[in-house]
Amino acid sequence: MPDALAVEGLTGPAGGPIVFDVSLTVPNGASHLVLGPIHSGKSMVMRHIVGLEVAESGTIEVDGERFDARGEPEVVTRRMRTRIGVVFEGSALISRIGIVENVELPLLEHTDASPEEARSAARELLVEVGMNADEDVVPERLPRGARRRVALARALALRPAVLLLDEPTLGLDAHTAAELDDTIVRIQESRGFGVLIFSHEVRHAFGRVQEISVMEEGRIVAQGTRDALDASRHPVVERLLHRRGRR
Amino acid sequence: MTGTPLAEPRLDGPAVTETTEYGVALPDVAEVGGRFISRGQLAAQAMYWLAWLAFSRRAILSSGVQREILALGVGAVRLVVSASFLVGLIATFQIAYQLASFSAESMSGTAIGWFTARELAPLVVALLVVARSAAAIAGELASMNANGEIDALRVMGLDPVKYLVTPKVAALLVVLPFLTVLANAGIVAGGWVGNVIFLGFNTSYFLEQFRNAYELRDLFVGLAKSLLFGFVLGVIAADEGLSVHRRFAEIGQAATRSVVYSLIGVLGADTIVNVVFYFIPTFA
Repeated sequence: MPDALAVEGLTGPAGGPIVFDVSLTVPNGASHLVLGPIHSGKSMVMRHIVGLEVAESGTIEVDGERFDARGEPEVVTRRMRTRIGVVFEGSALISRIGIVENVELPLLEHTDASPEEARSAARELLVEVGMNADEDVVPERLPRGARRRVALARALALRPAVLLLDEPTLGLDAHTAAELDDTIVRIQESRGFGVLIFSHEVRHAFGRVQEISVMEEGRIVAQGTRDALDASRHPVVERLLHRRGRR
Repeated sequence: MTGTPLAEPRLDGPAVTETTEYGVALPDVAEVGGRFISRGQLAAQAMYWLAWLAFSRRAILSSGVQREILALGVGAVRLVVSASFLVGLIATFQIAYQLASFSAESMSGTAIGWFTARELAPLVVALLVVARSAAAIAGELASMNANGEIDALRVMGLDPVKYLVTPKVAALLVVLPFLTVLANAGIVAGGWVGNVIFLGFNTSYFLEQFRNAYELRDLFVGLAKSLLFGFVLGVIAADEGLSVHRRFAEIGQAATRSVVYSLIGVLGADTIVNVVFYFIPTFA
């Protein structure tokens, strides 16, 4: 069975690389954390995976289908994107429309669902992520944690093979962040997609991730399971994981 | 182990025109060329999606158009009616003052009839909508860009031009002709008040003068111009908003530029139409 996501030798963006030779895999049903300080290149890796940046070299494989990170025709990129769900840092919900409309947008664009069917599916997705779908309020009227849940529902709308989470709990209090983590794990267990988390928050390393890649200055400096990284003497790993991990 | 030093941070998006204390600094030739190309591309995409919208039953885009009509049009009704009334009054006094040396003040009703439908009403409406809405359109799109909302649309395989720009341009194409009709009424009302109350002509004389000069054909030409102005200002304002790439600091600059360039765009389009009508009278 192919991995949900495999990134191989990613260097980019073209013309002025910020990330260098990044390789990682996310098996189906597993979670992979890309951990690193702010400006270490995590978000740039994510932008390449979803085709928002053109790479100098590298390949992206989603659910067994390989894509050239140096750019593909628009129609191929669109097909790839339907297999990837993304929750952006700050949620990035469309501010002018209601939360139900936000979730139904990809359904209306990429499926044959009628407006009524799309609306019904969007409400079900909102309920699945723990939201009240009865009121189609605009995102700005919701607290940050609720906006993140709506963004999660939108990302799940097309049943992606892999879910990318960019700083998923940034700015949330510990209780809200833990609740969101539990929601993601619950849905992942029921649907079986892979999860790739990009974060500078070390707490994710102590959650239910199977593999961790530690990034610094655009490169992966250590990669492996928590146990494997415990043996690493790399200064960034020491700084991020070992010091925090001591009890 | 330490990584290779990072390259200089990449600046996303096109070069930004410097906004000075007094307005927008003049861009260089290459930048002007790039701007024309990007606006041409955006205009072509907007036309494609407008055609698609005309035949689509997708309610989500239609509801976006309705929202924009309310925001861009209904909210501008009071402004357009009151401003066009004042324009009618001002035009009456200006024309009467100029004609006084020929003892022809009585022609001011005729002059109002000549200029209102074809020139004054569509131009006044376009300039008022630029002043009221161009910055709002650019600011909204720029803010969405900075917030990552436009990237989110792209990642979902949704075209930002289709979902964000087209509803605004479609709304402007509906709203500007409607406001132009109102402006026609407002300017004529201002002309009537000037002629009857201040210049002392009676209403029937004013209406006779006005009827002799005002032709329905002029009204249609004015409405066609208002469609052109709506498209031009919508595309320019949207292009300025979309040119901001994930930088909050640029939102205000984009809003300022959108007003300046939309004004120039509307006046430029009007100039071209007038030149064409003058040299090729069959079009007029």
